[in-house]
Amino acid sequence: MQFTIEVGRYNPEGVYADDAQPGLPFPPPWDKSPVRRYQTYTVDLPEHAVVLDALIAIREYLDPSLAVRCACRSAICGSCGMWINGHANLACKSKLAAFSQGGKTRVESPPSMPLIRDLVCDMKPFWDKHLAVRPWLENKQPTPPADREYRVPNASMEELIQEVSCISCGVCLMDCESFAVDQDFLGPQALAQAYRYAGDPRDDKTKERLGQYSGPGGIWDCTHCFECVQQCPKGVAPLDQILKLRKMAVDAGFTHNPGTRHADAFAESVKHSGRLNELTLMPKSTGLFNIVGQLKTLPSAINMARAGKLPPLIHKSIPGVERIRKIFQRVGGRFK
Amino acid sequence: MVIDHDVIVLGAGLAGMRAALEAARDGANVAIVTKVHPIRSHSSAAQGGINAAIGEGDSWESHAFDTIKGSDYLADQDAVEVMVREAPQDIIEFEHMGVIFYRNEEGRLGTRAFGGASQARTYFVGDITGQALLVTLYDQILKAGVKVYEEWFATKLYMDGGACCGVVALEMVTGELHLLRAKAVIVAAGGMGRLYEPSTNALICTGDGYSLAYRAGAPLMDMAMVQYHPTTLAGSGFLMTEAARGEGAYLLNSLGERFMKKYAPNKMELAARDVTSRAEATEIAEGRGIDGNVLLDLRHLGPEVILKKLPQIHEMALDYLSIDMIKEPVPVRPGMHYEMGGIKTDVEGATVIAGLYAAGEVACVSVHGGNRLGANSLLDTIVFGRRSGRAAAGYAKGTPPNRGGEDVLRAEQERLQQLLARSYTGETCAGLRLELATMMDEKVGLYRSDAGLHQALEALRGFRKRYENVAVGDKGRVFNQALTFVLELGYLLDCGETVIRDAIVRKESRGAHTHVDYPERNDADWLKHTLLTLHRDREEPEVSHVPVTITRWKPEVRTY
Amino acid sequence: MKVAFYPGCVSKGACPELYVSARLIAEPLGLELHELVSAPCTGAGVLSEQNRELADALNGLTLAMAEAEGADLMTICSTCQGVLSDHNFHLKNDEARREKANATIADQGYSYGGTATVKHLLWMLFEDIGIERVTASIKRKLTGLKIAPFYGCYILRPSEALGLRERPERKTYLNQLIALLGAEPVEYRGATKCCGFPMLTFNRDKALAMGGNHIIEAKEKGADLLVTPCPLCHLNLDGQQPDAARVLKQDIDVPIFHLPQLLGLAFGFEPDELRLNHHVVSTKGALEKVELKV
Repeated sequence: MQFTIEVGRYNPEGVYADDAQPGLPFPPPWDKSPVRRYQTYTVDLPEHAVVLDALIAIREYLDPSLAVRCACRSAICGSCGMWINGHANLACKSKLAAFSQGGKTRVESPPSMPLIRDLVCDMKPFWDKHLAVRPWLENKQPTPPADREYRVPNASMEELIQEVSCISCGVCLMDCESFAVDQDFLGPQALAQAYRYAGDPRDDKTKERLGQYSGPGGIWDCTHCFECVQQCPKGVAPLDQILKLRKMAVDAGFTHNPGTRHADAFAESVKHSGRLNELTLMPKSTGLFNIVGQLKTLPSAINMARAGKLPPLIHKSIPGVERIRKIFQRVGGRFK
Repeated sequence: MVIDHDVIVLGAGLAGMRAALEAARDGANVAIVTKVHPIRSHSSAAQGGINAAIGEGDSWESHAFDTIKGSDYLADQDAVEVMVREAPQDIIEFEHMGVIFYRNEEGRLGTRAFGGASQARTYFVGDITGQALLVTLYDQILKAGVKVYEEWFATKLYMDGGACCGVVALEMVTGELHLLRAKAVIVAAGGMGRLYEPSTNALICTGDGYSLAYRAGAPLMDMAMVQYHPTTLAGSGFLMTEAARGEGAYLLNSLGERFMKKYAPNKMELAARDVTSRAEATEIAEGRGIDGNVLLDLRHLGPEVILKKLPQIHEMALDYLSIDMIKEPVPVRPGMHYEMGGIKTDVEGATVIAGLYAAGEVACVSVHGGNRLGANSLLDTIVFGRRSGRAAAGYAKGTPPNRGGEDVLRAEQERLQQLLARSYTGETCAGLRLELATMMDEKVGLYRSDAGLHQALEALRGFRKRYENVAVGDKGRVFNQALTFVLELGYLLDCGETVIRDAIVRKESRGAHTHVDYPERNDADWLKHTLLTLHRDREEPEVSHVPVTITRWKPEVRTY
Repeated sequence: MKVAFYPGCVSKGACPELYVSARLIAEPLGLELHELVSAPCTGAGVLSEQNRELADALNGLTLAMAEAEGADLMTICSTCQGVLSDHNFHLKNDEARREKANATIADQGYSYGGTATVKHLLWMLFEDIGIERVTASIKRKLTGLKIAPFYGCYILRPSEALGLRERPERKTYLNQLIALLGAEPVEYRGATKCCGFPMLTFNRDKALAMGGNHIIEAKEKGADLLVTPCPLCHLNLDGQQPDAARVLKQDIDVPIFHLPQLLGLAFGFEPDELRLNHHVVSTKGALEKVELKV
């Protein structure tokens, strides 16, 4: 089957195939501009071929100047993460037939990562974020003797298999909207690995970890959009791990942040009236004594008022709100 | 640029990182040079587990015997003893580092069954054991702050006065060539699977370490011992872990029979890999295969076991063949998987060349002899990774730093420039590699013959000539993969030559080396290793032998 | 057709225009709206993350109420859709969670049986009401308008609970609807991305930048307006648009319509009836293109 594939090219140096001749498998010289451009290729591959098969076929026989990271071809090494039709995926797991719906497939390096060459992006931001969460076991003391393992229930180890399945391909970060807007966000992978250690019963520094991850760029900087859950090729579900960290952090007492205030205000509103009171939610989440924060939201509040979109000052409860209050009491926990 | 360290480790897989960690703990100024990020190393593809005699009722002697019998008695028994005796402490050390090993009901490390083992002693994490070990070890490297030269491609070992004093490496991102000087170099660059087609190995497994050491004069031992894994996915060659058979999967031929009954009536599907691979090849050759494959049947295990214990291979079969192993059997065939032979070392990881060490798949101590047991490779990497790290650090303490090498660096720069300047003549790197790999599978694969091997050597000579004409299709400096591919093909040619020559020399059948002209194992003449050493300015290697070290296990007939 | 109508909190609070227009279009579409007035807030995912058991009970109650009505539950908010689908999925498949939730709400006279279906109005248009009925109700084709769909995360991800594996076409309904109404759908990457609302109170500038970027991308591709099935997205994209423009240092000025408002226009209702005169970002420019005044 014929597949057309459009590849985002970039070379900081420009031209290099100086003995290219027509008809031979070297690319014609393309212009010296370091600006990215797209080059289209057509390859003949079996029906079930994946995007990586096309890229390998291109660089082996059509255009040896194409740079792409790949090794295992089977979604274990994590090398071939890239944007395919605008969303991050592993090239070795993306069937060409599925991605060629519009007649062709477009692959390129993700724009939120610095670019080295063609499809090879600079993964340094990714590795730096991984390092930043201190992703190693801080052994719970006393460490058992050299001939004895920690005794832990199998369930606690199995629970972490999901996080350890991470192959550091970067696909989650490449599609993370929060990271795209703010490069300081630790990102889905780093936070999933953060949970991997915070949730390990043999780790000693859970509290310190939760404190660190509750800070700027951490768990509360995630926009909860499930993009990473959707795109992760190994089912790590980074958002789920971030949410676990949020609960752990709040339970551990790290509550002086807008995220916790938001959850508390939300719960209080629903408990009291059965529904959300937008009027009080915003100020309470910002922090009632956070004058600067409150002032920042004032212009939009005024805009809303002028448009007639400010919720009624007297917040009505839903009929049968007693039911709701009972549920809160019965379940207990933080929002009781 | 010229950079100095005490110890350089070439390769960032399990063996390399373990060696570096140990050297760092020993106070050495150690650095890792790796052509891919450590997490991309092929160690992560190892799925099934890691062996150790920890359990009640198990003993290191039993593990040693299984390993030695598995090796068809070519393994050096003193080395095997070291490995199996230190296995428990190494595995527990990894558990302390945080590996999320499977636990039994008492919360202690739990096992699964694996091929060639007299009792279950394989410790595991789902079907991602290699990955679990690798990522944990990487995290430890981060904790220890070990320097990693990431995406630096090694082109030559720097030799001075007969000793190894460093590595010349290409920094991929800038295209600059550097000399990294060191008092000791540990080669842990992994296997050479791309020499064969099909192979379970990643595209990066191009035998760099074997060739670099060989060209520096280090002897390569028992290169003919190339292991074919019985269950590689039809078509792609992806590994379907032995753990599937450990959990109870059957191997069926076209008649629906569990054919292993004829070849290994006791162990059945859990016989040693060479036995199983040959059985499959025989079934296929005698017309009881299905399109050149046999079937791996897991249906009777049930969805719970498959999804819990073997999720990764379940997904692979689904992704690449659209087969759900819960409902259908999976077509598999033998594919090249592992090189038992390699750079000859002692139990400290030292080669005969001062300052040069080796560990992991690239090394040959020899603990795997003629055939490696499943789950022993992960063990090999961490035990000898640790030992070579310690030995190299110790050696470095007593060695003065080298001050030369600028000329070597300049000469390498020249060599690469000339390589880049070649004009295109019609020969492609990928095409030539494919021809080489297909030839190796046909003539130097599961079954060898005198005639076939000599044809192979001739063919290889032909490939070497054609290699001189392979041009580099990218003349740039930044991330020039076309250049590294051509260099890798050169390494594969060296590997091919040594495998063929070693196979020609060994006139018997033992372990993975099945010679149809000499179908019996011949202990009287061949209970010894073959060494191939390339001396300076010579075309062909010198062949020599060393006896196999026997401690307490007399070679017996090997049946399963 | 009868539906258990779940309007969600925001359509009765800060986005009254959504509630009003939803009620108006019910008649031409043949929808008999039985509003679940006693149903609590879904928790918007915020409650689920801090206390799953609580969210199970609250949403279990809502779903039980729909079951008692004997009709599908219809949402008009992507977030309600996402959260209710998620809890419905897990309560249906996880016996332990279901039993616990039922135990908590038992004495209220409700029981979650797992028979309720949760569908957004957007899905119902195609799957239950039918394109023929929708087309028949069009009195005013929106020709000449270039409209950018903005789905909102929770109606797209994660796929399993939302039934997107079985019905992947749900990922394109908004595009299809725009075309059906006679307008030109705008293709742009931001259509399926997050508007930033969940982060509005944690990291205000970032949330504003996120939403603003998507609108600007749509604008650069020629969009006259955005349409969204989620009032929380609307709050960010419309309500906070002037602030977003300030953060991004760019003029934006692109009106954001609710899904029922767009339908209402096509069905012949007047802009004022649909409260299109009560947006923060004026809808005047877009409406002029279809010769309407506001």
